[in-house]
Amino acid sequence: MHYKWKTGMWAFVFHRASGLALSLYLLLHINVVSSLYNPAKFDNTMGFLGSPLFRILEIGLLAAVLYHSLNGIRIFLIDFTNSTRKHSQIFWLLAVVGLIIFVAGAYPMLHHAGIL
Amino acid sequence: MNLTFKIYRFNPESGQPPHYQDFTVDVKKGETVLDVLGEIKAHQDGTLVYRRSCRSGICGSCAMQINGLNKLACETQALELQTATVVVDPLPGFKPIRDLAVDLEPFYEKLRSILPYLINPDPPETDKERYQSPEDFAKIEISISCILCASCTSSCPSFWADKSYAGPAALVKAFRYSYDTRDAGLRERLDMLDNKHGLWRCHTIMNCNDACPKKIFPTEGISFLKRKVVENKY
Repeated sequence: MHYKWKTGMWAFVFHRASGLALSLYLLLHINVVSSLYNPAKFDNTMGFLGSPLFRILEIGLLAAVLYHSLNGIRIFLIDFTNSTRKHSQIFWLLAVVGLIIFVAGAYPMLHHAGIL
Repeated sequence: MNLTFKIYRFNPESGQPPHYQDFTVDVKKGETVLDVLGEIKAHQDGTLVYRRSCRSGICGSCAMQINGLNKLACETQALELQTATVVVDPLPGFKPIRDLAVDLEPFYEKLRSILPYLINPDPPETDKERYQSPEDFAKIEISISCILCASCTSSCPSFWADKSYAGPAALVKAFRYSYDTRDAGLRERLDMLDNKHGLWRCHTIMNCNDACPKKIFPTEGISFLKRKVVENKY
């Protein structure tokens, strides 16, 4: 089965992918938090998470959270307000909003990590 | 202008797997893909199988995938596609029977499941027809123009993944009756609509809206129904 990919399809696929990524993150997060009961293990984990790789992944987390929540708003608007026909415009409008928040969030994160 | 038509061929009796066959046709301005298929069938290969009836966008028989999008072959002018090669596939998501003809029985089955007719146990107030104001008619007018070509349901990835999903065409019909002021059948349709193979399987991918040759915008009808179901529940 194949079909030409348009905004709606991309929006759906990214929503699924970011949703799965966030679920995976949640499991990792619970695992990290569970090390709170052991100070030595906690320091060890925190040191590991302070590596540049995890700084980059953290920015990826920001992107996933932003995309999933903003597209969630888009789906709500499509389903429960009379804006179904404007789904594509809403997508691009929220993409701009998302990009602004992303840059505003990612810059201090990279700066803090000493990358920028 | 000579165009190449890359057409999906499949004959279960031949034992051969599905494949594409190229045909070169001299296409004149204004000729539709359906005209070209007729030309191929008459002069190049009489075994080519496809459905057609009215050749004027009313019967919905000639829906097929043309260059990756579901369209009515009779309403698609070949030169306007502006590609040297035109790829013609059967509607995706349904079992191909032969060449461009697919088994639409699952499509009709979904349609029947939403009770696509007026349900109202109360007799009309007068002995004439049930009154519907022009304003009330306008609310559902666009959805009445559905010709059941299956382009929308076939374009829907949710339908490909879940063959129990009602699909946009059946849901548009459900909208058409549920929002008809003369109808009182929402309760009877609710079980079918309000489950994971009903309204909530729509992931707003929006392919159906582009595919509809009548510009119905099925997702809009589905969103109206989602609201109606939520209102009804809470």
